[in-house]
Amino acid sequence: MQTFHKAKTAKIQTDNKSIFYPPGGILIWIIIFVELMTFSFALIAMAVLSKSNTELFHSSRQLLSTVYGTINTIVLLTSGYFMATAVQQFKKDDFRNSSRHVLFTIFFGLAFIAIKTIEYSHKLSAGIDLDYNLFFTFYWLLTGFHLLHVVLGLVILTAFYISMKKKTPTLKTEDMEAGATFWHMCDLIWLLIFPVIYLLF
Amino acid sequence: MKVIYVWILLMVLTAATLSLNYFNVSPILIFVFFSVKFLLVSFQFMELNKAHVFWKASIVMFVSIINSIILLI
Repeated sequence: MQTFHKAKTAKIQTDNKSIFYPPGGILIWIIIFVELMTFSFALIAMAVLSKSNTELFHSSRQLLSTVYGTINTIVLLTSGYFMATAVQQFKKDDFRNSSRHVLFTIFFGLAFIAIKTIEYSHKLSAGIDLDYNLFFTFYWLLTGFHLLHVVLGLVILTAFYISMKKKTPTLKTEDMEAGATFWHMCDLIWLLIFPVIYLLF
Repeated sequence: MKVIYVWILLMVLTAATLSLNYFNVSPILIFVFFSVKFLLVSFQFMELNKAHVFWKASIVMFVSIINSIILLI
C-alpha cells in the first residue's frame, strides 16, 4: 500500500512539470488567478478613486492600525509555513506529523480570525461601518471577502484533519495539495491587500 | 530552499515593511518587499518552482503588472 502511495506521489511530482498539472491541480490555479485578478481590479479601482479623494483616503488610512495588519500578516504567513510542512510530511507518508501541522495551521487561521474580529469590533464601536466613506467601503468589502476565504479554508483543513486522524487515512496527495494551495491563496490575497489598504495612502 | 528559511525571510521582510512605513520611505520599496514575499509564498510554499515555466512566468508577470499599475496611478 505504502509502495503504491509513494509511486503515485512520485508520478504526481513528475507530472507537475507538465503545463496541465501544476502543484495542486490546474483547476485550483485557474481559481487562484481569477481570485487574484478580482482583488487586484478592486485595489486598482481604489487607487484610481484615491486620486480625486486624496485627503479622505489619507485621513481614513490613518484610522487603520498597521500593527494589527502586520500581526495578521505574521500569523497568516506562519500558518502558511505549517501548511507547507504538513504537505511535505504527507508526501513522506508521515500522517501523524502531517496532521499535527495541519492542526497548527488551523490554530493560526483561527488566530487570524480572532485578531480581525477585534479590529472589526473597534471600527464598528467607533461608528466606522460599510457606509462611513469610500475608503472604508473598500476596506470592509476587500477584507471581508478575504475573511470568507479564510473561513472556507479552515473548513477544508478541518476536513483534512478529521480524514488524517482515521485509522486508514483516505485523503489523497492531490486533494492535500489542492487544499494547501487554496490555503496559500489566502496568504497571497492578504499580501496583496495589506500594502495597498494599510500602507499606501 | 527549506521552508523554515523561507518563513524566516518572510518574517524579516514583514518587519522591514512595517519599519519602512514608520520612516515614510518611498512606497516603491514597500512594493518591492511585497513582490518578494508574494513570490516566496508562490514558489516555495505552493511549490510553483516544480511547475511548468508557463505557471512560473504567469505569476511573475501578474506581480509585475499589478505593482506597475498601482505605483503608476
